[in-house]
Amino acid sequence: MKAQKLFSLMFLVSILLLANTVALFAQQMSKEQWQDEMKTYTAKRTDLQSQLTKLDADIKDLQAQSDKLDADLQSCQQELYALLGGITPEQLNAFINELSTMEKRVSELQGMSDDELLKNRDEVMRIDGRLKEMAQNKIAMIPDVGNRIRVLQDKVAGLIKTLTVSKEKTYTVGTWSRNHDCLWNIAKKKDIYDNAWLWPKIWQGNRDKIRDPDLIKPKWVLRIPEGNELTKQEKSAAHSYYRKKASAPAAGGSGN
Amino acid sequence: MKSIRFLLIVSFAASIVVFGGCASSPSDQELQQLDQLKKDVAGLEGQVKDKTAAKANLDKQNNEKSAKLTQCRSDQDAVKKSLGK
Repeated sequence: MKAQKLFSLMFLVSILLLANTVALFAQQMSKEQWQDEMKTYTAKRTDLQSQLTKLDADIKDLQAQSDKLDADLQSCQQELYALLGGITPEQLNAFINELSTMEKRVSELQGMSDDELLKNRDEVMRIDGRLKEMAQNKIAMIPDVGNRIRVLQDKVAGLIKTLTVSKEKTYTVGTWSRNHDCLWNIAKKKDIYDNAWLWPKIWQGNRDKIRDPDLIKPKWVLRIPEGNELTKQEKSAAHSYYRKKASAPAAGGSGN
Repeated sequence: MKSIRFLLIVSFAASIVVFGGCASSPSDQELQQLDQLKKDVAGLEGQVKDKTAAKANLDKQNNEKSAKLTQCRSDQDAVKKSLGK
């Protein structure tokens, strides 16, 4: 019985020892594994150290190249500024900034309708004049700057052409006694609209001068807007005028 | 019964032998050595990564400077030509 208990205990102990050994196996690396890992990581470290040494040398070379390029560039720019009449970098930047601003504005002007462009006619002419001055500047000898000025001048020339083509017709009002000029008669003229019913066009196109379409003064220079039919706004103005005109005698009558 | 006893004795003896024999694992000092090596490698990898990026950045800057210098020399030549020098 005693022997049986002893054997049972031995069996239990051996099972526990086996289980413990298996657990240790699972958790810990063997000496061989350790040696393998040491070998792998040592090789990696050696490789990385060699890469670092090469990178340090490359960076040193590149830094030296960078310093040389800086010096060469500075020397080249100084020589260029001297050739351009001793200008300063600030003057060159100001010139280029002005050109960039003009490019932006010209691009905006190109996107405008003919009417809007007509309102900005003075600015277009001013830009054209300034570009001519800039083209005479020594800075324009720098190819990129010179090309930009030329491209801009072409664009401005296009705008001026548009302004010339779309320039509105005008009519100088004569006297009633001599010319019988009223908006109706002016619109009826062959060289104006050849259509008296288009008179509201002249009225609406000259709102700055004409407050009452029945009243225009000799020597007024009236704009003659383009078109052969009334716009919505012109029609509305005409209806408003006719309504007012129709109600005017009644109002006058009630007043008398 | 005898055979059971025999089996028990053998298994006990075997477990003692296995436990004793398989206890050959690296010492704490050796494990620390491996850990330190792994840390060194990780640190070096970081340095290589940083320096590779620095090199690429310098390379890019130098290419830009080189292009500017070429442009400047070309501008200089054009201006000299315009001035008739």
